[in-house]
Amino acid sequence: MRNRRPIVQTASRLGGLLAALLLAASPAAAKDYLLTGAKPDKLVLVDAAARKVERVLTIPGGGVAPSTIVPSPDGRVAYVINNHLGSVSGVDLDSGKQVFRADFSTTGEPGGDLRVRALFGMDVSPDGKELYVFQSPVRLLPGEYRVEDTRIAVYNTADGVGAKPVRLLPAPRRIAVLAFSKDGGTLWALGWDLYGLDPKTGAVKETHKVLNWTRANHSPPDVLDIWPQFEQAATLSTPYSTARTDLAATDPGAARTGLMTLDLATGRMDMRDFEDTSAVIFSSVISPVNRTEAYSVYTQLSKIDTDGGRLVKRVDLPHTYYAINISSDGKEVYVGGTACDIGVYSTDTLDRVGQVEIAGCPDQGMASLRVIRR
Amino acid sequence: MKHLTPINKKARLVDQAVEDGHMDEVVAMQVVVGCASTMDPGWEVDPFGSVAALCAPMEADLYGCSDPCWWPAQVPDTINSYPDWNAKAASAQNDWRALQSVFPKE
Repeated sequence: MRNRRPIVQTASRLGGLLAALLLAASPAAAKDYLLTGAKPDKLVLVDAAARKVERVLTIPGGGVAPSTIVPSPDGRVAYVINNHLGSVSGVDLDSGKQVFRADFSTTGEPGGDLRVRALFGMDVSPDGKELYVFQSPVRLLPGEYRVEDTRIAVYNTADGVGAKPVRLLPAPRRIAVLAFSKDGGTLWALGWDLYGLDPKTGAVKETHKVLNWTRANHSPPDVLDIWPQFEQAATLSTPYSTARTDLAATDPGAARTGLMTLDLATGRMDMRDFEDTSAVIFSSVISPVNRTEAYSVYTQLSKIDTDGGRLVKRVDLPHTYYAINISSDGKEVYVGGTACDIGVYSTDTLDRVGQVEIAGCPDQGMASLRVIRR
Repeated sequence: MKHLTPINKKARLVDQAVEDGHMDEVVAMQVVVGCASTMDPGWEVDPFGSVAALCAPMEADLYGCSDPCWWPAQVPDTINSYPDWNAKAASAQNDWRALQSVFPKE
């Protein structure tokens, strides 16, 4: 008996330790954090469940408006386009230190200075090793400004501050969103159409037609999407609007709104109308729990049944928001961008169940709203 | 080109080039030389011909549109020519009094 008790105690302690280790290693132990930007040069990390700003980090040389934000796959570093769209900084979310920086423009070249800006499109490879940035360059010559071809600059994230592109890939114009396939084999680029690019060469491997669709009796669809919000369901989604050309313009059914979705695991793309246009919509997100549920945002929050192609519910918001994201359990959506608050809504009822305000009330403007698990 | 009339030598050369078929494909400079080059007229009416579906309030939309040159005509260009125009007004709704007019630099 004397020996059994310590054995039980030891077993119990080991069991407890094992449970703690399992808990620490289990994805269930990780929490959802929201990542947004705020003017003029802040990155903001929010504990979603606690409705609390965890920390505010300053982007060195950040300019006046953080733009696209891409978290590293391990959730430790946030890459953010800043410096008047002329740079990307990687900021360590724990230390606040700038661990990566690439300035796009170049001077002193024989061919003339090159002014380069990055509008929106950026993603990191699934292994976290390469950062892909869509760029628009212009050569500043003595007598003229010459527009150069748009491109995707590829950086090694390990190159740190002062990184230079390791590859410059040709890219179609007007790319607003970059999104890697889950296996890293395809870099999807959303512009007038949805291009599947080879991340090594930039070659267009496949094209899903968007603006160039051939749907009978419909105008080319109009897409406005600069918000990367695909990480939770691994599905890129964006609203589109189109007009029925076989109906009079005054017919209430002539203007149609739909949702384009791209499954980043399979590459399957779908464009499906869900209502006669009755609201402006800027961006959308797919539920990671029920992939037929989509939520969209602008001055209204909408719940959409993508399978049935119908609007389920719509509620007014206190002000316009650009960006939307969703919790890992699919129970809450977060609306952000524009002003200084993030609204929290129940996906079940679309009731506002919480909010987070950034101290000092700086605008989020066009900053992305991302979810990371930490 | 029937609505535009050249008023100087360079403009007449552009006209001539068009007639001779010597023009390159026109591509947008987007934001890299000044927001005005985007010629985006800003918000006047919504898609329904009214104003109810515009961003609300207008201040929620100001920086999201103007910082990436989406709203070039009415406010200074913070990408190229007046980078710090709104640097001291992080909240459009609260700090709008700090937003000043700008004038061409010498």
